[in-house]
Amino acid sequence: MAPTRREVLRLGAAGAAIALLPGAAARASNGVPEAIAGFSGGAAPLEGGVLLEVPEIADNGGAVPVRVAAEGARRIALFADANPFPNVAEFRFGRLAPPAATIRIRLAESQNVIAVAEVADGTFRRASRRIAVTVGGCA
Amino acid sequence: MAEPKPRVKLPKSVTAGVPFRVRTRITHPMHTGLRHDGDGNPVPRRIINRFVVRYEGEVAISVDLEPAVSADPYVEFEMSVPESGELEFEWVEDGGAVYRLQRRIDVS
Repeated sequence: MAPTRREVLRLGAAGAAIALLPGAAARASNGVPEAIAGFSGGAAPLEGGVLLEVPEIADNGGAVPVRVAAEGARRIALFADANPFPNVAEFRFGRLAPPAATIRIRLAESQNVIAVAEVADGTFRRASRRIAVTVGGCA
Repeated sequence: MAEPKPRVKLPKSVTAGVPFRVRTRITHPMHTGLRHDGDGNPVPRRIINRFVVRYEGEVAISVDLEPAVSADPYVEFEMSVPESGELEFEWVEDGGAVYRLQRRIDVS
């Protein structure tokens, strides 16, 4: 049965109320799933096959060292799930550079850093690490 | 803003085909576009958005940088070269300004 006009209005009002809530529902994501899908062309990355080295605790969120490596990878991207923007950096390796790099990044608060690599067989791999940030960086 | 100053640290000599460590940095505030100055005016986004390293014209590594990369962007990686030659390091800023550094690498 098609919804009546009254039911549609009621659902719309409920949706608007949820959208206005300042809590978890509205802050659940900064768009990391969409950013990862943008990198992988929609493929869901498998866990494992990516080395992601980060400090467990970062005193200064303005410069957090992150090392990534993934055997056979041509591309590796870094994401952060509670920064204003999800994307952090994307590395592309030519035949002269083994797929590994270290970079310093900004983290606005404690959050997960995610590395996704496109490996030699064309599949995508991921690794994720939680970093506790003492003083947030101006991400 | 002071002129960005690029810096690269390479081994004095390397072995053909054996990866060596390359450490790079450029002085740059990496303005995110989200902050305000002391008078409350927004500071427009201005970052180094791309970093590319070439050996004799061939791209060894290329990196896209977002505002979440720290000020004075630091990138460390490894690469190898088949013989002595020229390395070119290139940083591209929002607005199109390019900062380059050329270094010779000697195979012993």
